[in-house]
Amino acid sequence: MNIASSREPAGDPAAPGTITSRPKRAPIRPLHYLYMLPMLLLVGAFLLYPALNTAWLSFTDSNGLNNPNFIGLKNYTNLFTDPAFSTSFTNTLLWVVGVLVLQVTFGLLIALVLSGVRGGNALKILFYLPATISGASVAVVWYFMFDPNQGMINTTLRLLHLGGVAQDWLTNVPTNTWALIVAATWQGLGPNMLLFLVGLQNIPREPLEAGTLDGAGPVRLFWSITLPLLRPMLTIVVGIALINSFKVFDLIWVMTQGGPYRSTETLAVTMYRESFVSFQLGYGAAVAIVLSLIVMVISIPYLRTMFRRDAEVYA
Amino acid sequence: MSAAAPTPAARPNRRRSTRWLIQIAVLALAVIWLAPFWSPLITPMKTTPEYFATSPWALPKNPANFFDNLQTAWQTAGLGSGFLASLSYGVVGAAMAIVFASLGAFAIVRLRVRAPFFWFILVFSGTIVPFQMYLIPLFQTYNKVGLYDTWIGMALFYTAIAIPFCLFVMRGAFSTISREILEAARLDGCRDVDVYWRVCMPLSRGSIAVLFLFQFTWIWNDLIFGLVLSTSDGVRPVMPTLAGMQGLYATQGPPIVLAAALIASLPTIVLFLLLRNYMIRGLTLTAGAE
Repeated sequence: MNIASSREPAGDPAAPGTITSRPKRAPIRPLHYLYMLPMLLLVGAFLLYPALNTAWLSFTDSNGLNNPNFIGLKNYTNLFTDPAFSTSFTNTLLWVVGVLVLQVTFGLLIALVLSGVRGGNALKILFYLPATISGASVAVVWYFMFDPNQGMINTTLRLLHLGGVAQDWLTNVPTNTWALIVAATWQGLGPNMLLFLVGLQNIPREPLEAGTLDGAGPVRLFWSITLPLLRPMLTIVVGIALINSFKVFDLIWVMTQGGPYRSTETLAVTMYRESFVSFQLGYGAAVAIVLSLIVMVISIPYLRTMFRRDAEVYA
Repeated sequence: MSAAAPTPAARPNRRRSTRWLIQIAVLALAVIWLAPFWSPLITPMKTTPEYFATSPWALPKNPANFFDNLQTAWQTAGLGSGFLASLSYGVVGAAMAIVFASLGAFAIVRLRVRAPFFWFILVFSGTIVPFQMYLIPLFQTYNKVGLYDTWIGMALFYTAIAIPFCLFVMRGAFSTISREILEAARLDGCRDVDVYWRVCMPLSRGSIAVLFLFQFTWIWNDLIFGLVLSTSDGVRPVMPTLAGMQGLYATQGPPIVLAAALIASLPTIVLFLLLRNYMIRGLTLTAGAE
């Protein structure tokens, strides 16, 4: 048993992915595979097998009681005539827009401001603080904030003589979905802001200084220099925000349980309700598959950026 | 430094007033950002009748109610057992995931296995697939094999779900260790296991600390797997317990529910404030931005 790299300096297995550079005929060493065994067993049994099983279940009428029968694409065709599913799908799109506008754009704005303002470091921690709390806790806090009578929002509005705006935030459609998105922004803005700050720090100063000398104003500097140089980080932040906006569950489930009358459901909530409240497991699995296909497709640009960096670092 | 950077421009007065405006706007936003913390901090100091009779901004009449409400939340409402359960899942799950993932990473980067990139992607795909894909079969299988609503079932699952990201980070950490060090260790007579445990792991301390913190926080904050895979006190993690106290079927008054939210959030807030540089590094690692 030897460390491969010490034997054959030419083929360095330390470079992941560069299979071509590996030695041609290395003897197989069964013991080396043993190191991967616990990891592969756990991931296989608890993640990979369930994922494949969900794919199979989505073609059945499983309800947790009887033996599931294969029913082809029936669950999927039912999705498209189900009004609850179309509400859920529309809400998910609202979440995507809301998250992109509020969490990403404001995250970038705040990062830009904080990078040039006094006390930026302390404020950075403050804006990040809500992100350290769980979705469930954030939901509990905002549930009481949105309370029509005792909530901080309506009380403050009445104090400011804006009582006309005060309302039952979590009941009125479609205000309730936007109310949830606002709560999610409070929690989700911090990480985006931090990643943008990291990105801004890594931008070289020379182009900005050159631009300033040429007489460009701050707005021009931002569009022509900062934003293009920030693009890799922008891809990552937008990617993560998109993926998260499709998967949001905790906040909605704890605040409204998708209600009233399923009006605030998103795909992740619909999946949970169909599977674990109505026990339509086959149907729930079909929702999970639709959700996953969307998430995996939108992950592609993000993953490509991620592994391009990965390849640069470890190649 | 970026767009907001000062410039030797022709209109210094206008520049200066704009900067002041921006400074004030940011401070105002910071105050708004802090406001939601008021209710979980202040409301637990009120009694339930007091909560319904006064403004949410009003200061409590008798702040000592705080301890009563914390105790009711901890004991009567059952948050305490969820708290302790989550503590054990967080510690055990994060530690086991780091050990198993680092062993795998060691094989993938430092030992001779065929198609190392395939094994990496196979495991890493666990973070790309949305959690909704795991729920139904896990629920069914757990019921079938008797893991449903057991401590070991929860701990095993949290370990498994933490592994893909740990593998990603440990693979990165191990591949930066210079080959000279490993060769020197081998010349000194180290076996593979020794190289893993005595050379690679100690050299990756920083990554391990970040991972532990990050995975602990993730497990602590999880809601959905706790909802689906457990039900009884002592097994059910802290977040599903908190979620169960709130909403339409609430039996406890708002001061107690908010006290519970405060207890449930405190560990991760404290960890962040104490170790925020590790947390921020963990965030950039999650994003693959490091």
